[in-house]
Amino acid sequence: MTSPLEARSLSLVREGNAVLDGVSFAVQQGEIFALLGGNGAGKSSTLLTFLGFLEPSGGEVLVNGASVSSDVAAARNAIAYLPEAASLYGHMNAYENLDYFLDLAGKSAGRSEIDAALERVALPPEARTRRLHSYSKGMRQKTAIALALLRETPILLLDEPTSGLDPVAIDEFHDLVKALATGGQTILMVTHDVYGACQVADRVGLIRDGKLVGSFAAEDGERIDTETVHAAFAGRGVA
Amino acid sequence: MSAVTRIAREEWRLWLRSKVVIAAALIIAVLLAATSFLTIDRIASEQSQRLEQQVAAEQTFFAQPDRHPHRMVHYGHYAFRPPPPLAMFEPGVDAVTGQSIFLEGHRQNTAMFADTKAAADLGGFAALTPASLYQLLLPLLLIVLGHAMFLRERESGTLAVMLAQGQSGVTLAMGKAAALLGVIVIFMLPLIGVAAFSVSAGESVLAAFALAGGYFLYLCVWGAIVLAASVILKQRAVSLGVLIFAWLFAALIVPRFAINTSSAAIDAPGKIESDLVMLAEQRKLGDGHNAADPAFQQLQAQVLEQYEVETIEELPINWRGVVASYSEAELTDLLNSYTEERMGLEASQSRMFDLFGIASPTIAISSASRTLAGTDLATHHRFLREAETLRFDFVQALNQAHAEQLDYTIDINRSNDAASSQRARINAASWQVLDEFRFEPDRADERLSRSGLTLGILLGWLFFAGGVAGFAARRVKI
Repeated sequence: MTSPLEARSLSLVREGNAVLDGVSFAVQQGEIFALLGGNGAGKSSTLLTFLGFLEPSGGEVLVNGASVSSDVAAARNAIAYLPEAASLYGHMNAYENLDYFLDLAGKSAGRSEIDAALERVALPPEARTRRLHSYSKGMRQKTAIALALLRETPILLLDEPTSGLDPVAIDEFHDLVKALATGGQTILMVTHDVYGACQVADRVGLIRDGKLVGSFAAEDGERIDTETVHAAFAGRGVA
Repeated sequence: MSAVTRIAREEWRLWLRSKVVIAAALIIAVLLAATSFLTIDRIASEQSQRLEQQVAAEQTFFAQPDRHPHRMVHYGHYAFRPPPPLAMFEPGVDAVTGQSIFLEGHRQNTAMFADTKAAADLGGFAALTPASLYQLLLPLLLIVLGHAMFLRERESGTLAVMLAQGQSGVTLAMGKAAALLGVIVIFMLPLIGVAAFSVSAGESVLAAFALAGGYFLYLCVWGAIVLAASVILKQRAVSLGVLIFAWLFAALIVPRFAINTSSAAIDAPGKIESDLVMLAEQRKLGDGHNAADPAFQQLQAQVLEQYEVETIEELPINWRGVVASYSEAELTDLLNSYTEERMGLEASQSRMFDLFGIASPTIAISSASRTLAGTDLATHHRFLREAETLRFDFVQALNQAHAEQLDYTIDINRSNDAASSQRARINAASWQVLDEFRFEPDRADERLSRSGLTLGILLGWLFFAGGVAGFAARRVKI
């Protein structure tokens, strides 16, 4: 069975530095895979290669079995991407932002569909007509997630999705991600939050200096053991 | 709605929600409206005044009483150059060349009543006219609006989101270009209005809309330059700085340099300098007022032989009139040779200046603008030539009347007493020799053809800047 996301011996060299070195993993449909690593470990770069924003120096990345290099448009069409900064337009309100980006993605959604998505991410109705420059980080993040929901893509890439969110918002976000995975979406998230990764992911890959140095999977419906992963993350042992 | 249109629409939404942008656009719109109104009013007034003055000058000449014909040669006449209809947008060199000329015997006078000498020193860039606003201020507005329009997406992270929606850098650049194009089209409206008004005032449709097309091309060049900077550069402060420098370079530095270089490379002596040199050669030709001047001995022998007489008193024509006519023709040949040489040098300077359009689109449009409006140097030179033809024809017609209608003996004794002076006059009907003079701009196709080089340079600029922007957009990375 073809994996929706797969990295095969992925290497990446930027400005003479090896950013990724032989990274291989596959994410199955309905699975949440968290790529965990410190700053500069190569996790965001891994994610960007799936979008075709970075060209691998070696190996390849595949989306739905097709090499991204050979058909980047198909890859982007299948993926909804949530960048770390939840970058949307500050001079527009939530409706205008969502309408605009959906239009660019070749999708259309009516006001009721957009409202439903915003309800799902718990963005208060009174905030929806306010321009985003007055939003908190969490509200912007919710709007960006709503965009990902409305895209209705089979794959979701999340770059440090809980960075800057308060604990309540993080819990809400985790619930939402789990629900999406249950609904069949394949989710690859990159994070340096050990606890968050273990809370939400079915599998955690540990990346360090561009290499995938460990992998942890939940078993029998249990969560991944945070202590074990934290020890590995801190270099006290690798599973 | 296509992605390009949608991106353009959202750029407009940003601009319309920005107080700075709205304020800048309004200031320029008000300046444009005020300058257009004032220039149209001034040019329309000058146009009717000069036409009236031309008719009045002719009527005054015709209304002169019986006189000695040579007094009428020195009484003289005026030729006026009414501004063409498109001068209400582009006064061009008219402000510095003078638009009326006093025509008299034995002299080629300089055109008079230039509006400003200061503007000449700045190559015509000093006066605030609708054309100068389009040439100088609208590019600044495009810079203010567009310097960050692409790189802002990169700075704010929305570029990645946009590309992730399946759009390419080229599509994004095209959307931004379309947004700027919308601004250009809106700011073309006043010019199109002036062009339409000039057509109603007698200008050809081709010339009026070629002028508008030239400015559209020019603004598109600046739009492409702004877009290219915004795609290539990574920081908005750098982009703004680079574009402001490009504007200073194109609009102020290169024109100043081009004027100095053209003047230094092709040394065209001024009118006064030419006149001093000419005076020495003029003396060799003899004094046409003195029929006994040795310079006319050969002519005298030829004329006496032609009429088979021994003395000038026996001639059936007035020898003094013959000398005046001969002298005027000789002198005019000399004057024309100097004038043509000077105009040739000025035209060469102008052509060299035009070539600097390769380094500055502002020079290219300013040259094309003057040519298409009929306010360029070539048109002024044609006015001088046509005025000179008018001068020569009426002076020679008066000299002919002098030779044929006034007896030689009466003529040489005209200063004896009042009665002699009275007898040495010819009938005022002879003043009808003056041709009606109405100066018209060149045909539109001739003006268009003459502006081909500078319009071609502008087109080259558009392809270059657009190509750079397109190439950079194709390689855009987050």
